[in-house]
Amino acid sequence: MISARPLAARATLRLAAWMAVAVTIMSLGAMGLQYRLVETRLMAAQKALLAADLDGFRALYDQRRIIAVRQAIEFRSTAASSDEVLVLLDRQGGVLAGPESGWPVAVAQKGGSFGAEPAEIIPESGTRWLAVSWDLPGGFSLLVARSLRPVDDTLAAMRRGMLGLLAAVLVAGGAVGWLAARSVMRRIGRVNDLADRVAEGALDARLPGARSDDEFGLLETHVHGMLDRIQNLNRATHRLSDTIAHELRTPLNRMLQKLARVEGQEDVTADLKAEMRQAIRVFDSLLDISRAEADQGSGGGLVPVDLSAVATEVWELYEPVAEDKGMLAEAAITPGLMVLGDRNLIAQMLSNLIDNAIKYCAAGDRLTLTLAEVEGRHLMRVADTGPGLPDEIKGEAFERFVRAERDRGTAGHGLGLALVRAIAARHGARLVLPATDRGLVLEIGWPKLQSSE
Amino acid sequence: MDERILIVEDDAETAAAVRAVVEGLGCSADHCDTLEAGIAAAVSGNYKVIVLDRMLPGGDGVEAMARIRAGGATALILILSALGRAANRVEGLEKGADDYLPKPFEPDELRARIRALLRRGTMQVLDNDLMAFGDLEIRVKARTVHVKRAHVAVSPKEFELITYFARHSGQLVTRMQLLENVWNLHFDPGTNVVDVHVGRLRRKLEEAGSTAIQTARGEGYIFAPLGAVG
Repeated sequence: MISARPLAARATLRLAAWMAVAVTIMSLGAMGLQYRLVETRLMAAQKALLAADLDGFRALYDQRRIIAVRQAIEFRSTAASSDEVLVLLDRQGGVLAGPESGWPVAVAQKGGSFGAEPAEIIPESGTRWLAVSWDLPGGFSLLVARSLRPVDDTLAAMRRGMLGLLAAVLVAGGAVGWLAARSVMRRIGRVNDLADRVAEGALDARLPGARSDDEFGLLETHVHGMLDRIQNLNRATHRLSDTIAHELRTPLNRMLQKLARVEGQEDVTADLKAEMRQAIRVFDSLLDISRAEADQGSGGGLVPVDLSAVATEVWELYEPVAEDKGMLAEAAITPGLMVLGDRNLIAQMLSNLIDNAIKYCAAGDRLTLTLAEVEGRHLMRVADTGPGLPDEIKGEAFERFVRAERDRGTAGHGLGLALVRAIAARHGARLVLPATDRGLVLEIGWPKLQSSE
Repeated sequence: MDERILIVEDDAETAAAVRAVVEGLGCSADHCDTLEAGIAAAVSGNYKVIVLDRMLPGGDGVEAMARIRAGGATALILILSALGRAANRVEGLEKGADDYLPKPFEPDELRARIRALLRRGTMQVLDNDLMAFGDLEIRVKARTVHVKRAHVAVSPKEFELITYFARHSGQLVTRMQLLENVWNLHFDPGTNVVDVHVGRLRRKLEEAGSTAIQTARGEGYIFAPLGAVG
């Protein structure tokens, strides 16, 4: 509830990032394929040009041997194209035709006849060259090399273009992803906000406006349907408990009015009145339990309550009772601990616990109530050194009407702890029965109220 | 007391019981058995106290209180209802009821409550520092109690208790009233915890020589420092 906004934003960001990365990877793949294709085509073109050159030289050699080749090389050299290097060596390795620098070191002289294969790629003066060399009959060597600079320049330009394009795709993908995710998140956020308001107790909260004709509209319709049902059930529960109260208490009231007119049998009427009071207590507890359970999890009706003050008040109410019974009663209550709660329910719960402890303990037993902040919660602890819970009911002590066999003689209906549990749950408090050597220890961890006021 | 009291109650037997209590206090009672009639009567008649039921033909008395007040009625409202759980009582008081008594009720309890309301209507605001009842004195600002000029040490709660008694001196004060007004608790704690507190205060006063607090038959106590019970 508190971190709902950052949560939604995080999901939006994540979706946008995934979208951007996915789009970028796909375009990277497409561009890579294209790049490969262009590279292959350009190389093939260069190879074709080289092959054409070689065909020319072979024709010349076939007609007029070395002389013609040498003349052709010299003629071509004067044309001074930087795209081509042609070298012809004599049998001692002297340059017959070609540039001053002579035969490039990187190319091995090898035998064979005219042909474009095997061509090799050599680096020379900062450029890559596609080179082929032969040994011609008579110890002459011929090297034909074509510069790959045009190819490399084209590919470099293409790479730069691709990089720019990828950056643009990444940004565009992110932006589109963000927009798409945000619109989705906004619609989920509407439903979340509604759930928050319902959790805070506004069971009649609904989303305004018409439902859209899509999955989100359907979700909203479903949520509304569930809320309507919960609200109706809740209303029915409240109506039912009011009706039960009315139908039970009205006849009891008539009985009590008639009892008031009975004279001369004070003991009997006092007993009857006490029985009626007990019966009402049982019904009230049952109704309180079901009401607290029905309201469980909804913050509705809860207000900031000074837990320390309530604990102190209830303690002061019962302390003399415990002392009169000869018990050692001690309380250590940290002042000013606030919770979101219902003062009356908290007082009722604590009164139940302390009253129970006093009921089951004997003179000399110790009763302690502590309230302190422990590990981010307000920990309320009621401990006594009385008989504790018998093993037979340990597991189900918080169920309605569960009582130990040994307590049949003691007044009570086994609703006290059930009400304690329901009220704890109503407040989102954790109820535990820690193991203890002697007596009964009960701990309730209350959620702290966020604001310190 | 010849005050007029309005009873809005649909159960005839209960209405008769309330009427008996009201007339026993020397007041005259009018009875309505529907909410609409009750509101009309409350607004037009000059009543001191209205005893109002909740689950009436026509609606909930608690919800009708705003209409009664809006109509200009200045009567004090006592809700007398079968909706008697603590939550119901707190709701009724928060919505403006002056008192809330759950059914079934003891006639004595109702009598004590109506009497307290009638008195509240006439009582001047007690802002004087000293409340003196013969040789028993309560100093409100200093929060001290003196019997025959001697200081009686009381706890803060006991002081609130004796002040509440003093404000209702001479009247029956029930345990339920004490629990509601002194401890602000609206549920039945089962055991009579209040008795222990009153007993302690009473012993302290008796040790100092005052028998101001007396147990009344059945339901509560009477603070009668001057011996006058009424």
